[in-house]
Amino acid sequence: MALAATLLHNAYFCGRCCRHKALQPLLGPLLSDSLSKSYSSYRRPGSQPEKKTTWQNVDLSFKKSIEVLKTQLGMLKKETEDHLAGPEGQSLTHYMLEQTRVVWEFRSQEDLNKWVISSDVEIGGKSEVYLKLGRNNQTALLYGTLNTEVPRDGETKYSGYCSMRAKPLVGSFARKKYYDWSNFNSLYLRVRGDGRPWMVNIYTDPYFSHQKDDLYNYFMFTRGGPYWEEIKIPFSKFFLSSRGRVQDDQHPIWLDKISTVGFTIGDKVNGPFQLEIDFIGLLNDRAHTEEFAYETYEKNPPL
Amino acid sequence: FILMLSLALGTMITITSNHWVTAWAGLEINTLAIIPLISKSHHPRAIEAATKYFLTQATASALMLFSSMTNAWSSGQWDITQLTNPPSCLLLTAAIAIKLGLTPFHFWFPEVLQGSSLITALLLSTAMKFPPTTILLLTSHSLNPTLLSTMAIMSIALGGWMGLNQTQTRKILAFSSISHLGWMTIIITYNPKLTLLTFYLYSLMTTSIFLSMNSTNTLKLSTLMTSWTKAPMLNTTLMLTLLSLAGLPPLTGFLPKWLIIQELTKQEMTTTATIISMLSLLGLFFYLRLTYCSTITLPPNSSNKMKQWSIKKPVNTLTPTL
Repeated sequence: MALAATLLHNAYFCGRCCRHKALQPLLGPLLSDSLSKSYSSYRRPGSQPEKKTTWQNVDLSFKKSIEVLKTQLGMLKKETEDHLAGPEGQSLTHYMLEQTRVVWEFRSQEDLNKWVISSDVEIGGKSEVYLKLGRNNQTALLYGTLNTEVPRDGETKYSGYCSMRAKPLVGSFARKKYYDWSNFNSLYLRVRGDGRPWMVNIYTDPYFSHQKDDLYNYFMFTRGGPYWEEIKIPFSKFFLSSRGRVQDDQHPIWLDKISTVGFTIGDKVNGPFQLEIDFIGLLNDRAHTEEFAYETYEKNPPL
Repeated sequence: FILMLSLALGTMITITSNHWVTAWAGLEINTLAIIPLISKSHHPRAIEAATKYFLTQATASALMLFSSMTNAWSSGQWDITQLTNPPSCLLLTAAIAIKLGLTPFHFWFPEVLQGSSLITALLLSTAMKFPPTTILLLTSHSLNPTLLSTMAIMSIALGGWMGLNQTQTRKILAFSSISHLGWMTIIITYNPKLTLLTFYLYSLMTTSIFLSMNSTNTLKLSTLMTSWTKAPMLNTTLMLTLLSLAGLPPLTGFLPKWLIIQELTKQEMTTTATIISMLSLLGLFFYLRLTYCSTITLPPNSSNKMKQWSIKKPVNTLTPTL
């Protein structure tokens, strides 16, 4: 019966087999650092000029496509096994009893490759940001220089930000996968900063594109000392913003479909910055009973 | 309040119609009335759910209109029971499948249910399924049994498979709904009364589950597991209802399954009957796991929702014992 169901699912996904040749350009924008330009023709001063169009990147070699197909089918098989095992690939008892979970650790270059760094260079600014493994391969060091000099293109008013963002999970055949953090209620970060304030952003990838700029943010104030800090940010504190503007209509974040987490620095102070992260995890803080930190009642009720 | 009234109005119009246009009008009234209900909380996910619902239901209504128009063009009349043109039958089957959420048109259903509040989700799975089912009943003699059986078997398979490791209660109920719809549609061309019976029993059981979940405000599995401290009676009845939904023999939920299997064997479709019973085992496994987690083993953790202390007014403690 499980075999029949697996066959059913494989047959369902086989329709996507013919797309394996186009997988490379599909995965390309996901894995590269350059700005994707699917809608605007104005090129910001900081971004690279497009040397090859997307359709020129298509690789039609047969062997490579067979390998890609094999990897994708392998991933699909693993996903099916995870589905059978329980939520998120672990058994249900594990899910039930889980109180903490480490989501991102930084122990090797592979772990670093799961993150993307960006700065205001993409709009023409002059900040620099780098990400490397810290001492003994135990941490990740995000460092650089913030420069608030405004790019002179006539329309930008502010500048000076750097950020680090996790890459979204990709399943077999380039499908989107999400994190399910509904069992937890706080974000647990073990960081060693330099006293500068950071902003933590959580992106819940929505289905429709009109909500694609929706981001849940909160602040992370670092101490700067030589000691490690364990910062717990409950998810009830995150506020909703869209394209950087805090929304009037606030809602708590729903934890069942989370795509990426990011850190941004943009505190209008010129100078170097450093953030050392040991791991990023989740915590189910039993003592935290707040459901949402901001007003949920109707603020302008109709009379 | 007026939205509930419009829902009732739309349902009544569709049920009592014998002309295609009135049936379509009733369905449209239902769709339009429930859209504000889904997006009432203005949460981005709720709005997303409302948009998905609107798009799928509008497509389905358009297809239904196409089928009725081609039928009227070829046969010259608009009576629902006289659906003679084969392409119209196909189009109508597709349209109703989209409206109900049968595989392969089920993709909107779990997301929409997840985005709406528990009561709206209840309305979506029971009340909104009623008018399309009546249309299917009215036209059941002229529908293509192969297509319906295929969709039904796929629905039961998918409902069981996808429900396996969901952690959100609304999505679980969405997949159980898809599965039950499969059971309902597999028998519709042979004995429509059984479809109606399945539908009524399913609505009753789902209503009691949704209302119990609403009183304890369980939106995810972990909350469900801690509800034994808050309202123990409700928890036990919830367990019985879930098992009934799965179709275990001494409980009521077994009745429609038994009758459907009997009818299918009478129609010489024994392999189909075996396949669907095996597939609903998947669902049974899942429901058992849920009840195991929530009632049989008393979990050690506590919930940190302040509002969930002893409920004073438990509703529906008697309905599950039907």
